[in-house]
Amino acid sequence: MKRYLKLLGVFAKYSLMSVLEYRINFVAGVTVELGWMLIKLFYVAIVYKAGVSIGILTPDHILLFIGTYVLMTGIYMLYYNNFTSLPGMVQRGDLDLYLVKPVSLQFYVSMRHLDFPMFLTNVVAGTVMIVIGWRLAGLPVGAVQIGGFLFFLVCGCLLTYSLFLLPYLISFWTVSVGGIGDITAALWDFNNMPSMIYGKWMQRIGTFILPVFVITNFPGLFVMGELSVGMAVWGIAAPVLFFVISRMLWKKALRNYSSASS
Amino acid sequence: MNKYRCIFLMGIERALEYRVSFLLSMLSAVFPIIIQTAMWNYLYGHSDAAAIFGYEHGQILMYTLLATLVSQLTSAGFEWEMNEDIKMGGLNKYLVRPVSYKWHRFFGFMGQKIPRFMVIGPVAACIIAAARFWKGLPITAARVFVFVCSLVLAMMLNFYIFYCIGLLGCWLTDVGKLFGTVSIVLTVVSGGIFPLDIFGGVVEKIVNILPFGYTAQFPVNIINGRFGWERIGIGIAMQAGWILLFACLGEALWRRGMKRYVGIGG
Amino acid sequence: MGIYVEHLKKDFSYYRKETGIRGSLHNIFHREKLIKEAVKDISFSVEKGEMVGFLGPNGAGKTTTLKMLSGILYPTAGRAEVDGFVPWERKNEFKRKISIVMGQKNQLWWDLPASDSFYLNKCIFGVEDYAYREVVTELAELLDVKDLVNVQVRRLSLGERMKMEILAALIHRPDILFLDEPTIGLDILSQQKIRKFLKYYNEQWKTTVIITSHYMADIEALCDRTVIINQGQLVYDGELADINRLLGGRKLLTVKTSGAVDEKAWTAFGTVREIHSAGAVLEIPHEQTREILTAILNGLPVEDFNVTEIPLEESIARFYQKEAVD
Repeated sequence: MKRYLKLLGVFAKYSLMSVLEYRINFVAGVTVELGWMLIKLFYVAIVYKAGVSIGILTPDHILLFIGTYVLMTGIYMLYYNNFTSLPGMVQRGDLDLYLVKPVSLQFYVSMRHLDFPMFLTNVVAGTVMIVIGWRLAGLPVGAVQIGGFLFFLVCGCLLTYSLFLLPYLISFWTVSVGGIGDITAALWDFNNMPSMIYGKWMQRIGTFILPVFVITNFPGLFVMGELSVGMAVWGIAAPVLFFVISRMLWKKALRNYSSASS
Repeated sequence: MNKYRCIFLMGIERALEYRVSFLLSMLSAVFPIIIQTAMWNYLYGHSDAAAIFGYEHGQILMYTLLATLVSQLTSAGFEWEMNEDIKMGGLNKYLVRPVSYKWHRFFGFMGQKIPRFMVIGPVAACIIAAARFWKGLPITAARVFVFVCSLVLAMMLNFYIFYCIGLLGCWLTDVGKLFGTVSIVLTVVSGGIFPLDIFGGVVEKIVNILPFGYTAQFPVNIINGRFGWERIGIGIAMQAGWILLFACLGEALWRRGMKRYVGIGG
Repeated sequence: MGIYVEHLKKDFSYYRKETGIRGSLHNIFHREKLIKEAVKDISFSVEKGEMVGFLGPNGAGKTTTLKMLSGILYPTAGRAEVDGFVPWERKNEFKRKISIVMGQKNQLWWDLPASDSFYLNKCIFGVEDYAYREVVTELAELLDVKDLVNVQVRRLSLGERMKMEILAALIHRPDILFLDEPTIGLDILSQQKIRKFLKYYNEQWKTTVIITSHYMADIEALCDRTVIINQGQLVYDGELADINRLLGGRKLLTVKTSGAVDEKAWTAFGTVREIHSAGAVLEIPHEQTREILTAILNGLPVEDFNVTEIPLEESIARFYQKEAVD
């Protein structure tokens, strides 16, 4: 465990050093993210312009939820590039050199390059939105609320990693996955609005089958005191469950790589 | 003309090459529509949104659907290949052959759009028919015709815009992130996600002057019946004007860029 | 504690791609599966500290064999034991004992100095600080890259980069080193330096080395023992120099004459390889050299002559062809 944390530190350091090699890239990375942020802010603007509540959520609450989504996007984007480069690595046989290293291949391949420009932009913007939304909505600021919020954020991180790795693993069988990237990115964007705007069935599917809603809705719901005990348990169980699934599929995928690729 | 036909056919073939990814990328276009439809349905169901945004409920839904489809249809993506050609010396083979690079790009671009069009076309037709008969939007044959014309112009305009952007690769060493930023920002400001005129006032005026709205927002607003014939006429003139402007800009950039390219030695 | 391989076999399946638009459309719904036998049935063993060369044409199965031995690929059938481990079980203890360098793949961080990649390997393999410093200093000296370890990898030449790749692969002092085409695309000077280094390293550290190459010079310079693989099968295992003898021990006789000699006259002495206005090249049986030479000297207006071995490349090429005919 200690070795893996150390490696993660080395990856972070090297990624930062690499991106600072071309300073302009750092700035450019931030501007790309600002471009995406524009879309997310559009949703906020529309919500405030319409001035309606969505169920129990006032526009201020919605700002908090969208802020959570932006923050989580930043954390996902930190290692997202590793997912997208996975199909290429499979295709070119680049996993070969990492397969012979005495560390978990999944860890190595999915955490190797960390994207700080995207991470920082989103985390800063997301945090600001969360703080503003939290205050405007007049939510209590206590150790329980903040602790619970952070706890469910961490659960969300694990769930994001496990859930969104799954589609990229298909590349071990199909070689090309241009469309998979698009589709998962689109799936992630469902969290751009609180889950309550969707129909009942979509909410159920998005909470229990493809639990994307768990990732960004649960922290906010907890702070509002609207997260039932049953849901809270699911919020903890889902990340564990999906992590196990992704781990199993990874092993299967690797087995395929080792017997099929040339 | 034969050589361009060949390039055109190869574009189609390449788009079909990866079957799974082709189907998935088509499917992924549906998700944002679901998200936005859910949002609009909610907002229109719980407030006087028509008055706030200036779009009828049916119009905005149709906008959401068609804007996504139109963006899919007009989106470029070849600017990356152009950059590769410039950086790796791939341009050389065009410079020595009797093929115009611009037309090579243009027909390749159009060719790759055909499979997309074969999927998007029927879907769009169904949506338009449904809107006509169920929602009672005033859609006439003339309107459909003008819509298709403006769509073709939108594709051309977008081609020229991205052709110019791609040529920037002659001057900039690392354009990867720039392209990313530009394409996402342009999608937003072209109204590919939300109609920008819902914010009214100054925003609407700016959108009407800038070229970007004419690659997505304008064609869609023809077909959903928001624009009258006068607005349509002005809009088409604006499209043509912007195409001309960007075509000239493209030529100028190409000439300067090639001087630089040859100067560096490829 | 060496490498033992028995009846190793590897099949790949792939799909046929049809050309043209109709083909693409057809491929959407139906694809034909084909099987390629990359490695058919290979058995051999390597002692500890030995340096063995794998020689063979492109696609012969050299790299596939190497990948199975390093645990990257699972075999379709057969057994292998490397340093007491079954490679494809991929135990961490096994991975610490081996290392692989591939000429066409790189593990160095492109935008950072090579020393950073070395440090990463140090962390991955859990090498102690002092051992790490020692190994980097020593190897950088030997490979003549002391001044380059702090230069970004992207600024290095191909040859320098390959040296860094080799250095990075040796940070944990593996018992067994696999090299897949380590000199591919390098200039002669870099090739020689890398060869010299490998030879020295093998002798100094008693590291078992298996090297694949299609440059014969690599193998000739480095390995006492050569394994020739062709079309997934082992066709030769032994000293490179012995190949000629195995092929019937024939020699080349080059004769220079003062005038033109009729072709018929030449064919009486041996197989004619080349013929021109003032001489010819004949291929003759090794044991009849003396008789044939005497006969020629007596019968023809000879100015000069020369007897040589058949070039190794040619013999090996014949090995490849022989297999293809069988």
